[in-house]
Amino acid sequence: MPFSFRCLQMRDAGKDKIVSNKRTPSLFRQIAVRLAIVTLIFALLDVGLVVFTYSRQPQSLAQELLSLEADKAASQTIGNNPGLEGPPGADRWFASYVDPTLSNPNGATTIHPSPNGGTMIDWTKREKLQNGFRISGLREVNVDGEQRWLYMQFEGSGLKSYVPVIANELIQHVALPLIPLSLMMLLFNIFAVRRVLDPLRKAEEEVDGLDPENMSVRINEPAAPREVTTLVRAVNRALERLDDAMTILRSFTANAAHELRTPLSIMQLSIDQLPKSEQREALLEDNRQMTRLVNQMLDLAQADAKAFETDAVVDLAKVGRQAVSQLAPKAFQAGRDLVFEDCGGAIINGHEEAIYRIYRNLIDNALAHASGNSPIEIAAGPGPRFHVRDHGPGVSEQDAANLFERFWRKDRSSGTGAGLGLGIVRKLAEAHGGTVTIENPRSGGARFVVVFPDPANLRRSK
Amino acid sequence: MRLLLVEDNARLANLIRDGLDRQGFAIDWYETVEGAVHAVQIGGFDLILLDLGLPDGDGLELVRSLRAGNNPTPILIMTARGGLDDRVAGLDAGADDYVVKPLEIPELAARCRALLRRPGATLSTILQAGNVSLEPAERMVSVKAQKIEISPREVDLLELLMRRAGHVVAKPAIENALYSMDAEVTPNALEASISRLRKRLVAASADIEIKTVHGVGYALFIPVSANA
Repeated sequence: MPFSFRCLQMRDAGKDKIVSNKRTPSLFRQIAVRLAIVTLIFALLDVGLVVFTYSRQPQSLAQELLSLEADKAASQTIGNNPGLEGPPGADRWFASYVDPTLSNPNGATTIHPSPNGGTMIDWTKREKLQNGFRISGLREVNVDGEQRWLYMQFEGSGLKSYVPVIANELIQHVALPLIPLSLMMLLFNIFAVRRVLDPLRKAEEEVDGLDPENMSVRINEPAAPREVTTLVRAVNRALERLDDAMTILRSFTANAAHELRTPLSIMQLSIDQLPKSEQREALLEDNRQMTRLVNQMLDLAQADAKAFETDAVVDLAKVGRQAVSQLAPKAFQAGRDLVFEDCGGAIINGHEEAIYRIYRNLIDNALAHASGNSPIEIAAGPGPRFHVRDHGPGVSEQDAANLFERFWRKDRSSGTGAGLGLGIVRKLAEAHGGTVTIENPRSGGARFVVVFPDPANLRRSK
Repeated sequence: MRLLLVEDNARLANLIRDGLDRQGFAIDWYETVEGAVHAVQIGGFDLILLDLGLPDGDGLELVRSLRAGNNPTPILIMTARGGLDDRVAGLDAGADDYVVKPLEIPELAARCRALLRRPGATLSTILQAGNVSLEPAERMVSVKAQKIEISPREVDLLELLMRRAGHVVAKPAIENALYSMDAEVTPNALEASISRLRKRLVAASADIEIKTVHGVGYALFIPVSANA
């Protein structure tokens, strides 16, 4: 009778949570903001300087005031009316066109005559009054191509009437030259700062590309700037120290393996020679546990160091069958059945032995926790995933959080494991860019699902 | 069967020698690569049991040099190196099998026999599992010394499983061994044979069991009670 249990539905794998790191201000932004602030301060200083200078020169202010009004008149004149309202804050304001043929304009008794007698030229006169000042003067105005002469007189006090003049001055002499200059400076700075930061960006890319597999790689030292060069040198020195530490760690792993396994072997074989007794069986069991612990610690050390390549093409179904074959005798001894199903398409890039150990640890774990006489179900696929499911008590949410911690056991007093198996599973899965999740199926038990990334190499080679 | 044991730990070497001796193997023991090279030159070994971390060199070098010299003697590496890549490295160098310490003698002996391609031959020509025995030459099966009626195909099947007793034999491997290439094999032919064989064993009150590993294959399982 062919059997079947439901292959898991494909779920979208690889939905990695991206931890959004708080944005720290970039060096580029810091420099740009500071430059902008300095430019603003300079602009304000400039404005202040202009205002200060003009306030010390009332004569030129008076001159400008009349010239500004005359400019307005050029476009506002209707007939003989110059159409001027005068500067703000005027106590008295008078403006009228003058007939150049008359040496003394109309109303000359109340207004000042030309200081030059008869010749018509632009002139300005500023007088102090009791509380304020009077400005009078003549301007040549071009109205619709016709040259006319405008006589203006203004009486007022304070600085209020000069506001338009000063504003005009600011636009003409501060804003117009300063704004394009600032923009150009800013653009240049953006360009320059980007260029200066380029070596940093390159170094960052290289550091990102560092691989614990290949610790001999060093970051290229840029010729300039010196700050980046020294930083890169410091990173390279740190890499050197890490490289040394990794080498020591790896050789330690290999040495520890040898040093621990040989005495375990001697113990195993010596106990074997003892006459059959309960104690002998107990000793053999202890030795088996000790062996398992040593194996797991070494597996874990190796997984931690990520001291293996994960780019071979691995068929999860094939490795799953191997693992099931290897562990079936152990399962039979425990009175339990293993059931394997190939749901198809379970090809990944990985390390076959590492994948085998993930299977083995998960099946071991299931054997330790299964209850009743339901089989342990192992399925590869569909797609780059496999799962191991038992019909034990399941995993509570609280335990699920601890399950992958090293040396964690639900009940420390019982059981034979050291609590390393699932830690190895997670570490090895992560080394493949994969994830392990625990599910509690509705029909009971626990299901450990290992999901790997899609096999990139296969797709590329197609 | 003469085995060459290369192992630098004297206590371990003695224990292995004693253990395998009881399983019917004759052992010559050397402690170094140099000694092993010397012994191989004299020749006459059916199998080499090799430790890797030896005082005067790496056992893998010995494997490579033997294979480079076209020496076909099967090599079984027994080592403390159980890293992810070590097994593949050992097999790639030219070894035939790879066991990680600690060892158990029955397991080691079984692997040696498998490599000698004469399973069971070192002990006897009769296969024994639990209270079932099978004489390959006679195509005869008996339970508790009583001969039982059994078809030739079932004898083949039982022999295959008995030779790998305690291990899972993959379904395709059984089918390939049992049915000739041209014969039409129905998907359920093997299941039917297994089922008939099981009934016969139960009827004869055999204490071995043929276990199904769904999706993988079958295994002959000897319950602990029967083994004792």
